[in-house]
Amino acid sequence: MPIPETYELECDRCIPERYKHMALSNREQPVIPACNIKTVPGDMTERGCAFAGARGVVGGPIGDCIQMIHSPSGCAWYQWGTRRNLSTIYNWSGPGKLCNDSHNRRRAITTDLKEEDVVFGGVKKLKNACLETWRLTPGAGGILIYTTCTSGLIGDDCHAVAREVEKEIGKPVFVIEAPGFCGVSQSKGHHEFNVQFYKQMTEYREAHPEVCLKEEDKTPYDINIIGEFNMDWDLALIKPLFEKLGCRIVTVFTGGERMDNLLKMPDAKLNVLHCQRSCTYISNLIQQGYEVPYVRASFFGIEQTARALRDVAKFFKSEEMIDKAEQIIDKETKAITPALNFYREKLAGKKVGLYVGGPRVWHWTKVMKELGMEVVFGMCTFAHEDDYEKINARAEDGLFLVDAPNEFEIEECLERFKPDLFLTGLKEKYLARKFGVPTVNSHSYEKGPYAMFRGLINFARDIYQGIYAPVWKFTRDEDFTR
Amino acid sequence: MRQVAIYGKGGIGKSTTTQNLTAALSTMGKHILQIGCDPKADSTRMLMGGRRQASVLDTLREVGTDNVKLEDVMQVGFGGIKCVEAGGPEPGVGCAGRGIITAINLLEEDGAYTDDLDFVFYDVLGDVVCGGFAMPMREGKAKEIYLVASGEMMALYAANNISKAIAKFAQQSGIRLGGMICNSRNVENELELLTAFSKAIGTHLVHFIPRDKIVQRAEISKKTVVEYDPESNQAKEYLKLAKNVIENGNFSIPTPITYEELEKLMIDFGVME
Repeated sequence: MPIPETYELECDRCIPERYKHMALSNREQPVIPACNIKTVPGDMTERGCAFAGARGVVGGPIGDCIQMIHSPSGCAWYQWGTRRNLSTIYNWSGPGKLCNDSHNRRRAITTDLKEEDVVFGGVKKLKNACLETWRLTPGAGGILIYTTCTSGLIGDDCHAVAREVEKEIGKPVFVIEAPGFCGVSQSKGHHEFNVQFYKQMTEYREAHPEVCLKEEDKTPYDINIIGEFNMDWDLALIKPLFEKLGCRIVTVFTGGERMDNLLKMPDAKLNVLHCQRSCTYISNLIQQGYEVPYVRASFFGIEQTARALRDVAKFFKSEEMIDKAEQIIDKETKAITPALNFYREKLAGKKVGLYVGGPRVWHWTKVMKELGMEVVFGMCTFAHEDDYEKINARAEDGLFLVDAPNEFEIEECLERFKPDLFLTGLKEKYLARKFGVPTVNSHSYEKGPYAMFRGLINFARDIYQGIYAPVWKFTRDEDFTR
Repeated sequence: MRQVAIYGKGGIGKSTTTQNLTAALSTMGKHILQIGCDPKADSTRMLMGGRRQASVLDTLREVGTDNVKLEDVMQVGFGGIKCVEAGGPEPGVGCAGRGIITAINLLEEDGAYTDDLDFVFYDVLGDVVCGGFAMPMREGKAKEIYLVASGEMMALYAANNISKAIAKFAQQSGIRLGGMICNSRNVENELELLTAFSKAIGTHLVHFIPRDKIVQRAEISKKTVVEYDPESNQAKEYLKLAKNVIENGNFSIPTPITYEELEKLMIDFGVME
């Protein structure tokens, strides 16, 4: 379905290739904009590189691993302290522990490749860096080595280094090769991490069967939470509800997780897949390789969270669990209703623009509806066809969708749709705020967690505080046309 | 200052020819800088009387980019020729192409290209395998290229290939092909074949250097022929080559031929059945 002319953005007149990246959603006949393709030169994209997807999104949240970035120091920039919730492994206080082994976003480690390393090869430096970091943090669960454009191009044999270091330290050392040029956006980095981690995990389990979950330690209700990165302690709300349901969570891939647990991933009975963009790959691989099925789930909003709990209970075919699910849903919904009513009243009819990486646009379309808000446009940085299918299915017909928007398009959409709130990330918030449009950090949250029932209240509170912040009245003078 | 790059198939005698050529030029009173662009770093061996000198990249590795001094990496050899070896990584690691770029940039920064030089010669390894080995062809570097070849199929194949790179760079950096130099392997009809091949790719044969055992004898004594026996026939051939290079006025953008055309040429001259 072509976009009506009124929807064609003025800023793209001189870069008409962008028009195919826009669509109006339709529930009956889903409309998929062009997506997951190369950015046109001249389009000042907001996308990241494949390495950012591998290290920043999927690999980064692993709690106890040394995250070794084999690159010039530039690639390793902005890799620490980027979230409120750094990893929650605080075992320096434990007996016999001399150091803090929580690496997640506390440390960024790079081999700092220089001209001479490029010319002569950087493998020796990489090995030394691994061993040195290991000496500094001997409690780490393993090492993940990432290659970037530079190390990818000169072809350093990082796997050989990994095998040598593995022998010396006796812990898994995995290599994730996701040089920036291997794909069109960070999405390719998610994919590469999934595939390469799975392969090396499988090989490690075969070589070291003792790392697998022992038979006597297994329970019939072992699950993994896949594609959950513990954004602002989301897991603090997710884990207890699944445990109340009667499940035992073996591993979370990858939020705040330990390497020991990650290696047990294939030993669970079911994978519960949250981020269906970045982690469907490994769920499929585990299903094929270990015959562990997965259910897709969304932990945002009442309806979607309830369905996630029901789906898991249904999978285990346990009457008790199905009853338990209903009890949990009932209890949690009741607990949040008074607060929710307050926010619903305040937020009713407010217009919201949604711009996140991909899946959250469809995760949150329903959530906005539950809060009584109206989504007026949706944008994704790196979504694929299946993400847009889900958006089509969940949104009201005629939602304006823009794939991989650039700054000018965001600006024009803010002017055109005049949302009361823009759900977006760190980079784009400044633009919106200069327009007098409140934002809520939709990547790493403001004051989360936002997941599950109680997280919805945090989310609603942050939205409420954003929209009703007194500061906006200073932007609403007579020139302001909202 | 004329900046000249010598390319050709590996093992064809580029380094030998280049050293003899620069040695001959130096006896004519020319001031020369010769830069070996090969990780093996053996391009100036005979000019230096067999002494191996520290390469730019080896020095860089030891003392760091900012501390490389020109006097550490540039030695004066036969006839006052300034000799530099770019050097490079061990086989199988790192990026030799980037090494060439780094080395040449360093030489520029450190002021190796002085005004008193008449010639700068780049002796580049085997083939233009990647961007790094095209460095001497790029902006502000060598303006004239000479291809060393013999009457063998693969030598001409490589020469034809390199002329593709020259044609590409000719548009953007103004480099030109100065001509072919035949380093004879005593193949049948070699002179005729090389003359015809040169014509086919739009250039000319600068000089035909016959095969002579004295080259090897001189090499064993770690000398160029020009130094080893200046009165020999072979030394005179190199002097002739030097004279031709000085007087060369034929610079062209090459017109590379197809593989089929090259094969036909080989058959026409009876090299291939």
